Amino acid sequence: MTPRWQLETTGLIYGEESRATVVEPVGRLTRLFENGRALSLGLTLDAITGASPTGALPTGQVVTTTSASGHTTTSSADATPTHPFQDFRGAVDLGWEEPLGTLVNATTSAHYSQEKDYASLGGGLKTSVDLLNRRFTLTVGGGVNRDRVFPVGGTAQGLASDTAARIPGDNPKQVVTGLVGLSHVMSRRWLMGVTASQARETGYLTDPYKVISLVDPVTQLPVAQVTEKRPSERKRADVLGSSVYHLEHDILYVNYRYYWDDWGVRSHTVDVKVRHDLSETSWLQPHVRLYGQSPAQFYVFGLTHGPPLPEFASADERLGPLRTATVGATYGFHVPGSPGEFTVRGEYILQWLVGQSAPQAANTTVGGNGLRGAAQAAGDDQGGGGRPFGTNIGSLLIGYTVAF
Amino acid sequence: MRTRRTLILLMALIAAPVLAKAPANAAKTLPDAPAFTLTGLKGDVALDALKGKTVLVDFWASWCGPCRQSFPWMNDLQKRYGGKGLAIVAVNLDKDREFADEFLAEVPASFTVAFDPSGKTAERYKVKAMPSTFLISPDGKVLARHAGFDTKHAPEFEAQIAEALPR
Amino acid sequence: MNTRRWLLAALLLAGLGISGCATVHPWDRDLLAKKSMRFVPLPHETAVDDHIYFSKEGSTGGMDAAGGGCGCN
Repeated sequence: MTPRWQLETTGLIYGEESRATVVEPVGRLTRLFENGRALSLGLTLDAITGASPTGALPTGQVVTTTSASGHTTTSSADATPTHPFQDFRGAVDLGWEEPLGTLVNATTSAHYSQEKDYASLGGGLKTSVDLLNRRFTLTVGGGVNRDRVFPVGGTAQGLASDTAARIPGDNPKQVVTGLVGLSHVMSRRWLMGVTASQARETGYLTDPYKVISLVDPVTQLPVAQVTEKRPSERKRADVLGSSVYHLEHDILYVNYRYYWDDWGVRSHTVDVKVRHDLSETSWLQPHVRLYGQSPAQFYVFGLTHGPPLPEFASADERLGPLRTATVGATYGFHVPGSPGEFTVRGEYILQWLVGQSAPQAANTTVGGNGLRGAAQAAGDDQGGGGRPFGTNIGSLLIGYTVAF
Repeated sequence: MRTRRTLILLMALIAAPVLAKAPANAAKTLPDAPAFTLTGLKGDVALDALKGKTVLVDFWASWCGPCRQSFPWMNDLQKRYGGKGLAIVAVNLDKDREFADEFLAEVPASFTVAFDPSGKTAERYKVKAMPSTFLISPDGKVLARHAGFDTKHAPEFEAQIAEALPR
Repeated sequence: MNTRRWLLAALLLAGLGISGCATVHPWDRDLLAKKSMRFVPLPHETAVDDHIYFSKEGSTGGMDAAGGGCGCN
């Protein structure tokens, strides 16, 4: 008979070398009604432990750093300073799908997530219409998020000494998003789509735990730290091109995304997957993803101690000249005699920073060698492009989907 | 300003297909049902051979979800009206006969099944959706065409069929 | 700068419309009807990935639109 329920469960085990370890179970239950209406409830739990880079530069000596949240760590000579953390996040989301007539489909969604220092509440609406004998599908959607950031120990003042007094209380953050997409059935084997989306974030957008090293211009060593500070507004946009092509036996998925925002971050993402059937009940899907990002205008490796500080600055590697390379594969199979499908995915992610040219804040060029030298001392220096702050990540994702 | 205009244009684009829904039934002058001779499960199936009966021609495929739901309904129609002059011909459009056979093993049909892998008959009938069902009068005219299938509108269609049975 | 990016989007869109005007009849959607012929064939994996890359990188977005499918009903 027609299935009435659908269950999807996933378990992620993720580990970064010398950094964070994440365990994340996810469950989603969907109740299907007649006429294509569906109600879904999703639950995500996240347990993260480990170490996160503080943004401070490594030195040639053993150093004790105090992060903005008050943790004190002693790092070995060449290691990137990190601070230990432990966090637990829970998220719940609801979705309602309703066809309007035969050609229109509308989805409404709401979600709430909470962790030690962050709470997020959001909702969204998405409508899609089939046009021209279902050769084209137009999708329009939008969403709003109202978040609160309440850092452990209070909020540090931006670009101030990391031992300065902290401000208690919540910091609000609001995000409004919109998207427009068009997909086209190119042929019996080929589906293509283009989606453009925009987001506007306002409020507290700084990372409350990141710091920036102040480097002495003479000794070239970090002598002090300040907390980072980011603007209180961010306008983001991206264009995504997707292609699904059915070859003789395999299916090829190719995605390209170009992203840009008014902080100066621009990125290219290329994602390729091939689904290959091994038998009637099993398949293999290898996957490669390449990502390249150019840094935010106010991104710095470190600042020079002495001259006045810029208006905004961050040494968070996630805003820097970042490269990510992912290689992995998913193995999917049905257990004969039982319903449902299992998927097992192993992936390796390599992330690194490039960039001899730290962006032009007034004082980063002074002592540039010192900063670069310090940066390169951190990770495996492969010579040439340098690989400071590199991270190796491995992940295992197990999934099970069943309809009943 | 420009964004608002684009937004209104987009909303109009979405609203248009919802407002302009095509009627389910054919025009005033009834067209002739295109003739066909197709391979069936046991020998050929020709529409001409069914003159004098009310024929329900249903175009289906193994990969079509609503088709799976329509089969029990058609089996029921066959049982109740088969002896009263109704003939059902389910024309399969799978490109691979194997998939159709697998489907029929799971969802058996008590009515006639014919195979049109090239889709030429479907083209002559101007099939616009999957499944598509055509109600043909005993003298070979297309009385009605239904695109898609859902259990909610089935009784309405059944009444139409009962009405069209030969007296 | 901004106009150039939207021009890129428009170009992609145009490429979408112009190239490949092959006829696809309703009964030619056998391959498109497969669950694996979607922009997001494994939603549970994509959801986890979105979260991982959002936490580790500076970009967001890339939400997919609907499309394709068997076109039934």
